[in-house]
This record gives sequence, C-alpha cells and structure tokens, in this order.
Amino acid sequence: MTGAPSSAGAGRDTGAELRARLSNLQGLLVLSMKMTESGDEQRILHLATTAVPSLGRCRLHGVHLLNGGWRTMAGPCLDAEVRSDLETQLAVVSSAGGAVAIRREAWTWAFPLRSIEGHFGFMVVGADEQPPESDQFMLRALAQQTGVALANARRYAHERASAAELQQANAALAGTVAALQRSKRIHDRLTQVATATEGQPGIAQAVHELTGYPVVVEDRHGNLRAWAGPDRPEPYPKESQAHREQMLRRAQADARPIREGDRLLAVASPRRDVVGVLALVDPAGTAGEAELVALEHGATVLGMELARMRSLAETELRLRRDLVEELLAGTDDRSALARAEALGYDLERPHRVLVAEGATGRREGEDAFFHAVRRAARDIGAGSLLVARGASVVLLTGAELPWEELRVAVISWMSQGICSMGVGGRCERPADFPRSYREAQLALRMQRSAGGDQRATVFDDLGVYRILGDVRDTDAVQRFVRHWLGALIDYDEGRGGAELVLTLDRYLAYGGNYDATASALKVHRSTLKYRLQRIREISGHDITDPDTAFNLQLASRARHTLAAVRGEHP
Amino acid sequence: MTATLDFGIPGLDIAPGDHVCALYMGAAERDEILFPYLTAGLRSGDKVICIVDQEDTRAVRAGISDGGDIDACIQSGQLQLHTSADTYKACGGGSFCTDDMIDFWDDSLGPAMSGGFRFARVVGEMSWALSSLPQLDELSLYESEYNRLSTRYGQWGLCLYDLERFGGGIIVDVLKTHPKILLGGMVLDNPHYLSPDEFRAQRS
Repeated sequence: MTGAPSSAGAGRDTGAELRARLSNLQGLLVLSMKMTESGDEQRILHLATTAVPSLGRCRLHGVHLLNGGWRTMAGPCLDAEVRSDLETQLAVVSSAGGAVAIRREAWTWAFPLRSIEGHFGFMVVGADEQPPESDQFMLRALAQQTGVALANARRYAHERASAAELQQANAALAGTVAALQRSKRIHDRLTQVATATEGQPGIAQAVHELTGYPVVVEDRHGNLRAWAGPDRPEPYPKESQAHREQMLRRAQADARPIREGDRLLAVASPRRDVVGVLALVDPAGTAGEAELVALEHGATVLGMELARMRSLAETELRLRRDLVEELLAGTDDRSALARAEALGYDLERPHRVLVAEGATGRREGEDAFFHAVRRAARDIGAGSLLVARGASVVLLTGAELPWEELRVAVISWMSQGICSMGVGGRCERPADFPRSYREAQLALRMQRSAGGDQRATVFDDLGVYRILGDVRDTDAVQRFVRHWLGALIDYDEGRGGAELVLTLDRYLAYGGNYDATASALKVHRSTLKYRLQRIREISGHDITDPDTAFNLQLASRARHTLAAVRGEHP
Repeated sequence: MTATLDFGIPGLDIAPGDHVCALYMGAAERDEILFPYLTAGLRSGDKVICIVDQEDTRAVRAGISDGGDIDACIQSGQLQLHTSADTYKACGGGSFCTDDMIDFWDDSLGPAMSGGFRFARVVGEMSWALSSLPQLDELSLYESEYNRLSTRYGQWGLCLYDLERFGGGIIVDVLKTHPKILLGGMVLDNPHYLSPDEFRAQRS
C-alpha cells in the first residue's frame, strides 16, 4: 500500500519517543555535517543510503539523478525492468516528490533531491507499511540534506576541475615562458658572439656556457677548429673520410641535430662547398630540448661565421688577383702602391715575376696546379700575390729564393705532376713588373726551346741569351742566323729527321768533344762523324776554325732566342 | 586539572571522564584525530592505551613518535598498544563479550592509576565490530557499559567510528551511548545520551 505521508500519531508521543525522535534529528544533523564536509558524491550517497534504515523502518531502493541516472540501487531496483518502470513514473512526479509503485512493495515514495539550483533527482524509499509522519519527515529531511551535499560536492568537483585546468594552463604557460626565456638567452648570447665576431672559438665557448657540455667545432674533414669545455682529447682523433662524408650526408638530410656516437651534432652549411660541424660531447645522452635549441642556434651562427670568413677570403683573393693583373699589365706606381698597402702588402721592396707551368695528375682538379703553387709559395715564404693565367701561374715574389727548391715544393703538393719555372729580373718599382713578366716568360721559353728536364730558369742567368733577348732589331738577328745556318736549316727542313743544326749546336756546346756530343744526341760516334762531314759539305764552313765556330754557336743561340721571343719552336 | 589537560586537538573543551565518539571518513581522517591525541598523552605523561584495527602497528608508532622513544614508553608501561585481534576479538574466548572487555579496561586502568599515573586516556578503533558482530546491539551495550568506567577512573575515552565503513546508520545508535561527539574539529554535547541504566531500560 502506498499513500501520502501520514499525520497519524502526532501529539500523542511519549517522552521516550520524543527523546528518540530528537536523537534521530541530532543524528541527521551529524550525518548532514559529515555529508557536507565530505565533498565526494560516492561518500555522500553511501552515508545517506546506510542511514535510511536507522531513521525509520524503511529501506532505500535507489537514488536516481536526472542527469546522471541511477547511482545507488538496492532491492527491487537491482532489476533493470523495475528501474525502467520507475524512471517512467519519476518523469511525471513533481519536484516535491510523491508516491511511486513497485510490484510487491507496500509503500514506495520518491523523495526529491534538491539544491539551491532546484530539483535534480530522487531518493526512492520503500517500507512494508506506510511509515509514521515523523519518520517520513526524517526521510524528507535526509533527502534534502543529501541533495544539498551532492550539489555542493558537484560544485566543488567542478571548481576543483576548473582549478586543475587553470593549474595545468598555468603550468603550460610557465613552461612556455621558461622555454622562451631559455631561447631568448640562447639567442642573445649567440647574437653577441656573432656581432662581436668572436669567431669559431667564441661560438664554441658560448654554446658550452649555455649547455654545460664540452663543445667542438670541426671543419668538413673533421679537423678541430675550436674546443670549449673540459676533457679535450690529445691528439685530436680523426675519423675516416668515407665515414665522415656519410655522417655529413645524414646530418644534412635530417636538417636537424643528429646523434653520432657520443656526440650530438649539427651541420652548418651556408653554401654547398662550405661545411662546418658543431657538436656537443654527450656520452651519457642526457642533452635535452634546451641543449638542442642551443646547438641549432649555434650551428646557425657558425654558418654565418663560415660564410663571412669565406667571403672575406674570396674578397681578399680577388683584390690580390686584380692587383697582380694590373701590375703585370702595367700601372702607375702611386696607384699600385696604395692598393698594395690597403691589402697590407709591401710592394716597395724589390720583386721578381715568376711564371710556373706544369701539369697535374688526371685525378686532381682543375685548380690543383694553382693551389700547389700557392701552397708551396706560402710554405717557402715566396709570398701570396699570384694569379692563374691559362695553364700557367704567375707569382709576384719579394723574396730571393733557391728557385729550384720552390719548384720541387710545388711538385710535392701534387700527387703526380710536372713543373717548370721562369724567373724574371728584379723590379725596383711597380712599373717594372711588365718587363720582369716578359723576362720570366722568355726564360721559360728558352728552357722549353733548349729541351731537357723541367727546371727553374732565371732570366738573369741566361748570359748571351739575355743579350739576344733584349735586341730590338730581330730582323738583323734573323739575317745573322740565316747567314751562318741558313743552308743547314733548309737541309733539315727538306729532309725530316736530319738534325744537322741540332748536331752542330751540341758539338759546339760540348767544345768539339765527340763522345760527349754523341752521348747527348744518343747517336753512334760514326753517325756523328758522318753528320759533321755533311755539315761541312752543305754549309761550306770549317767548323774547326775558332772564329767560325764562335759565329756558328752565336747563330745557334740567336736562333733559339728568336724562337723563344716569337713563341716558336726553333 | 582540566586546564592542564591537552587533548591534542586545539580548542576542544573536554573534561576528565568524558567518553567521546569521533565520527570520521577514511584512514587519513582517523590519523588526524588519533595521532595528536596519543602524542599529547605521551608528552603529558599520561597512561595511554590504544587499540587499532590494523595488525601492523608500525604506521601508528611512526605517527606518534614525535621524536620520542616509543619502545621506551611501551617498556615503561606508559603506552599499551593493542590490536583489535588481541583485545576486542579475543575476549570472551573469541566471541565478543562486553563484560570481558570491561574487565580488560578495569585491569589496565586500575593498576595504572594506583601505580602513579595522574591521568589516563584510552582510544579504540571500532571497525572490528563490522566483521565480528552480526548485530551491532552488542556493540551499543558495550559502549554504554564503558561509561561506568569513566566515572571510576576519570579517564578520557575516545571511540573511533569510520563512517565510510559503518555507513550513516550507526550514528543514531552511537549518539545514545556517547555523552560527547567529536565532529568536524568540534566537540558537541549530546543531549540524547542515555546513561547505562537508561540504555538497559530502553533495550528491555
């Protein structure tokens, strides 16, 4: 049987009953306090549901929240069908609560759960008979207190969640601010390095200070350029070229720092042909995000530094090349001296022009001969004003050197190759350079004309060739050559391979010594005798006569000189 | 004398002989009541008798040490640290008996008070009853009878009820047998307290 809360029995209670009722009320008050301070939905529902039997001869069937469904289920409410039926009934029960029906239950009542925001659920209680009004009042009060406690708990949970979200947001914000501050500190420090042009040691030192790890800067080939921090290895180890190239390719493909052994490294490559490596020595692998940022920033600054250095080097090289070109072409002294001074080069001391010609091995690059001359000149102290002209290299040197030693040094810088040199006369002032250049070229041609091994030929040492080279009227020289050697030259030209002029030249050069001449010409003594006989017959000269021999020798050297001056083969 | 007694929780007005029921939820809340109460008793030189539910009392010892030597307190007899298993559950030959348990308190408090302790405080955690007493009526009877000891020895008695385990239904029964309630950091006088005789009369 179900029915409205009854007023039966009111006003007829004994003192003991009243005392018991007051005791229940105090119990409810205590319960309310515990539920309110609990702040947890499960705890509140546990206290409320377990308190129901103690407040009257009733039992709790379930607690149903409008936006949360069933939270506590007991007795018939364990049956899903019963719950479904009850939900249908609760949908039409007013917010003040009311009777609901459950099969085989005599009395069932839905007490409203309320808060200041309104009604939000029901506590469904059943009994074998309708409880007295005082018990129903206690149950209504319990439901009301439970509702308030639940609403408070929900509000508290919501606020706690909001606070947690705020805390989370604050933590994320603090993390972002810290990361930005770290990034700014890194940026500021490395910008300072870049603007102060502290170079590669400055970059290594800054990244070391920012990360605490030892920092190394290497060139493309793995050569140490700078180290900052403790434990620098001595000697500095060097990996194989193949392994190095493989590592560089991997780092450039990843476009971010990579781990290589005990190091975390980034590649700085402002241009394809310019490569530097910045690495943190981190054997324990403890470097984190902040260290990565510092390394990447550091690599960027290293790239700028490498580009700056390369640009400076190229500019200086270009200025030096321009100066050399102008000096060789002829320029006024004042302009040349001013430009040399701007380059920090002392052009006022005596110089010579040196022309080197050579060839390198097939595997070496186009510039290999130029770099070999540059390096040899640097090593031996021959100066750094040089320029490539076709297959030859022109060096302006202010040093007086054992030139053969310089030539050998050039060859040593090539894996395989040859080199010959011509050294011009002294230049006392810039306007002398074109002359010295011509002399160097002439010396080189004389060497080529004379044949034999490559060597360094100094114009000053050319003797009669030097005088012949200075003669302006080459036609007169030509006539002199024709007068003494014309018949032999024509015979040689008409009969390829006769070599009568060459045989005469060698015979006179060796002072008429048959054995030495035959050996130099690599012919048999009888062949030499035959050729000398033919020379006498064709030229009509007595080559044993001293005056005739002198004129023949002079004509032979004049012929070489003319060929050298004209750039021809005699 | 009252002014000199320290319950361990500031601001509480508790007189000698008070039998207090503490209603709490969960172990952390229990420790917030239990540890200061015991620590203050040891510090004051009181006779202290404690019964907790857990078999392993190391956490309790650690919680009340306050830099002092707990072993020394036990050896001197100032502190008796028991478990429910060796007291409530053991009395009556393994089936709880109110009289036996009252005798236990009598045997503990009597010699202590005559032996020189100026004051005694006891505390018992009551969750053992949930597993050992099918009907909680016997527990209520025991709680009521305990009040007779309070007038005899003037000790403080603190009963710990975990509402997470007992639920809300225990409250009404507990109110009838404890003259004071410790709730939310306050001690409330309980006007609905029934003396042992009144309680027995109501039961019959």
